[in-house]
Amino acid sequence: MSEDKLKTDEKPLKPTESSGWSALKALAEGFATTAKHLARKPITESYPEVKRQLPERSRARIVLTHDPDGRERCVACYLCSAVCPVSCISMQSAEQPNGRRYARWFRINFGRCIYCGLCEEACPTSAIQLTPDFENIQRDILTLVFEKKDLLVEGCGKDPSYNYYEHAGVTTDQRGKGEHASETPPVNVKSNLP
Amino acid sequence: MPKLTIDNREIQVPTGTKVIEAAERLGIMIPRFCFHPALGSVGACRVCAVAFTEGPVKGIQMSCMIDVQDGMVVSTTDAEAVDFRRHVIEWLMLHHPHDCPVCDEGGHCLLQDLTVAGNHGIRRYRGLKRTHNNQDLGPLVQHEMNRCIQCYRCSRFYQEFTGYRDLGVMGIGSRVYFGRSVSGVLESPFSGNLTDICPTGVYTDKPSRYFGRRWDYQRHPSLCLHCSLGCNLTASARYRRVVRHEARPNLEVNGHFLCDRGRYGYAYASAADRPRQAMAAGTPGTIADILTGAQEAIQRTVEQYGPGSVAVATSSRSSLETLALLKQACEQHGWTGPATTQTDRQALNQRTAVNCLRPELAVSLAADTEAHDVLVIGADPLNEAPMLALSLRQVQRSGGHVTVIDPRGVRLPFDFDHWAVHPSAMGAIVQALIQEIAGDGTAASTEFDVTRLARQLNASPRPSVICGTDILTSREIALAGDLAQALCRTHRVAGLFYVLTGANAFAAALTQSERVSMETVLDRIENGSVRLLVAVEQDLWREFPDRKRLQKALKRLDHLVLLDYVNSPLNHEVSYFIPTQPIYESGGHWINQEGRLQGASAVMAGGDTIEVTGGLDHPPRVFESHIPGSEQLAAWRALAALTEDHAKTVKAIQEETLRSALADFHPAVDTTSAQPTGQRIDLNAVSHAGVESTEGPVPVVNEASSDTVLLLLVDWTFGTETLSAMSPTLEKVEASPVAHMHPDTIASFGLAEGKPVTISVDARQLTVPVQADPRMAPGVMVIPRHHLLEWQIFGETRVIVKRSQLNADGV
Ligand code: SF4
Ligand code: SF4
Ligand code: SF4
Ligand code: SF4
Ligand code: FES
Repeated sequence: MSEDKLKTDEKPLKPTESSGWSALKALAEGFATTAKHLARKPITESYPEVKRQLPERSRARIVLTHDPDGRERCVACYLCSAVCPVSCISMQSAEQPNGRRYARWFRINFGRCIYCGLCEEACPTSAIQLTPDFENIQRDILTLVFEKKDLLVEGCGKDPSYNYYEHAGVTTDQRGKGEHASETPPVNVKSNLP
Repeated sequence: MPKLTIDNREIQVPTGTKVIEAAERLGIMIPRFCFHPALGSVGACRVCAVAFTEGPVKGIQMSCMIDVQDGMVVSTTDAEAVDFRRHVIEWLMLHHPHDCPVCDEGGHCLLQDLTVAGNHGIRRYRGLKRTHNNQDLGPLVQHEMNRCIQCYRCSRFYQEFTGYRDLGVMGIGSRVYFGRSVSGVLESPFSGNLTDICPTGVYTDKPSRYFGRRWDYQRHPSLCLHCSLGCNLTASARYRRVVRHEARPNLEVNGHFLCDRGRYGYAYASAADRPRQAMAAGTPGTIADILTGAQEAIQRTVEQYGPGSVAVATSSRSSLETLALLKQACEQHGWTGPATTQTDRQALNQRTAVNCLRPELAVSLAADTEAHDVLVIGADPLNEAPMLALSLRQVQRSGGHVTVIDPRGVRLPFDFDHWAVHPSAMGAIVQALIQEIAGDGTAASTEFDVTRLARQLNASPRPSVICGTDILTSREIALAGDLAQALCRTHRVAGLFYVLTGANAFAAALTQSERVSMETVLDRIENGSVRLLVAVEQDLWREFPDRKRLQKALKRLDHLVLLDYVNSPLNHEVSYFIPTQPIYESGGHWINQEGRLQGASAVMAGGDTIEVTGGLDHPPRVFESHIPGSEQLAAWRALAALTEDHAKTVKAIQEETLRSALADFHPAVDTTSAQPTGQRIDLNAVSHAGVESTEGPVPVVNEASSDTVLLLLVDWTFGTETLSAMSPTLEKVEASPVAHMHPDTIASFGLAEGKPVTISVDARQLTVPVQADPRMAPGVMVIPRHHLLEWQIFGETRVIVKRSQLNADGV
């Protein structure tokens, strides 16, 4: 390595910048900060004495929500179980007499869930949602396996309006062909009119 | 052979190949909806657009419509072509009902794949969508017409390919509708293929409706065991339940399709009443204990009465592995058997067919479609081997001609000639044909124009003979072989195709060292020389044609050891019952009727289905490492354990036993070398000797007389074959059993059409409604071996019934 490269363009220090002076200054500043905070109210909140309201979007315990009209939202499409990177969702789809597809059983193993939120992102019906409730600790690992009854909550959760069966063109007890959003009545195939 | 360049890569393909196929050979999958290798091109969907940059064709063109030409330069990635395809996808999605989450096609949907591939993630069209009403198409296929993209695959398949007319296209303009003129059960026994070929979710599999996604299924290559053709399929299972069969393309066997018997016949494997527990005289035990018990019983019997007192019997649905072990056990230990058929006649028929099938004559199911003139002798394709009917339909579509000589009122979905010949006259007719073809014809005058048919076959560029082995006698089966040979002598090319009875009937025939059938085994039980019977995967209760005799004889046995996976009343009575695994759990090899050795993988591990372990709710909340109800063995493993002292627990010893058994099985079947399965076995190594002589006039059997009627017990498409008859789905489409007779025969026996007839045999009766069929041969009565009929009173499947045995009052 050549001598030139080691050279710097630093100027010589002024007296006020000498090492002794700056050390004193830093010391004084540090004590001042400490003294200031000694007199202040603490901002750290002690958990669990204080429980903070977490942002709506924080990702913890998963719930299954309902449609605005109060029916189960999940159509057991298997998208959440497919996307889950740790494969902790399992379910069995089936058909209800009213024509709706639903989950006969639905299970999430929270012992395995990493709260990544991919299931929520994949869900086409807004059924599965992560909530801010992170206090989900159990001594017996089996109690971390949640069944459908443990997952279902009242209401729509974060999505107050979406109703999948209003849009999907399949027949249920509520809507027939041509009665969903942006549909025209079913065509008459026997007609020859243009 | 023209040479063209696709995406900078050169390829030479035969003239007449479409560009889309040529690209496929290079591994370039051009998007497609309407193009299907079996159905050809129509150019309806416009999604296969590619750019032709140089050569005889220029610009954006449909790659499925353009035949390859020399010097073409094709780009599939050309910006304009990609943009074109993107727009096509977008407009195909305009009316899409937005229901993928509840659509059973989701996950294996071509429309879904191409929508994603075309980068059409967000809907731009804000207008109104066209909708359609659905139809109820019966228990097999679910209809959801809103998802249609008008590719016309379904109507082309249903009408052109299979020849049925009740489903097709209706309406005009943007109202084009695919369905039936009125809701109703689809008539075609190939209707399940609609679920495979529709590129979207218009037709989905109804029995597995809303059950799961394909990505969650355990999917493995398997085989159909419901007839002798050995169609290839992919079986899907989930939570230890077989859920679905899909056709697995094999261009030498089933092409791209399956029949509905094969597609929906799997329910037996996950049936709630499937026996999963080893038992000794009805008392449950561990499988190891029961095996030990059975083994000791065999030893005691051999010590006391000699090795011949132990008989083994199996059926032609058992795997090659099972047959090989049984054959080896009989050879090594001197046991009686193995019996692989119920009756002597069936055994002889099987062996005759296998021996007559010379390598130069054998044709595959697929090659049959290329034949030009086909003569079907004593076979009812749609009922005995449905996919054969589909092959014959292709013969007729390509201008060929099909003639059927059969006493039954054979029906096929296309025009064909039918000679309704009484079974006793069949041999003479075939013999006359042979003489005519060989040119020394002095054809006996019959009502049928033998001379014309002989001339037609002689003039054919590619004649083929198809022969059944169920209702015929071995004499006619051998004559059919002679006929094919005679044609071969005059033609150099001629095909011979036997329809056998059972998925592994070919291999079963190869095990027969002497003629042993269940009938002979019963003889020996009755005279006391057989004291112990090992029955393997054969449902004696349902399949043996004389139930009373069977019950009596089985009672005389010291021990009955039964190995099976279907529920039978015998299971609880036998001394030792050992539950075995069906094909989905054991895998194995089967040899189809043309001698093709094909393999099936195990699809899943066995065990109680989740419906059993969890009811309809979630699975039990327990941690355990073993699967409940999974204590079953592949039949060959159980047999190895029965025959080898050390093989009870050590899998390696079982496998060693299997290897040696397979090596000794038959010189024609080479399972040791690298011979890939899926090839025909070495037919040259099959003995062509021992075939009954076909010289001399056919003996006139007194089967046709005014005082008797010849009763044939036959197969129907649905409801007769043992395993598929257990399918609750197929039960919904099967016809209820009737006795078919010619109207004249009905009248001459004083019976009435639509009224029941009672047939009495030794104080046992069978009552069944009579139905007239003017297309049948007179003097014949045809009854299906239907699971709803107790037909097991006749002792045979071809018997003469006297006038006095028929009673018209139906009581
Ligand atoms: S949050 Fe992530 S890990 Fe947890 S269930 Fe959803 S996808 Fe699976
Ligand atoms: S993605 Fe949503 S609708 Fe689909 S199964 Fe999961 S929770 Fe149910
Ligand atoms: S129903 Fe399916 S196969 Fe038939 S035209 Fe429509 S998309 Fe094609
Ligand atoms: S034709 Fe025979 S082997 Fe083929 S699918 Fe049908 S039953 Fe199975
Ligand atoms: S695949 Fe070529 S137009 Fe449809």
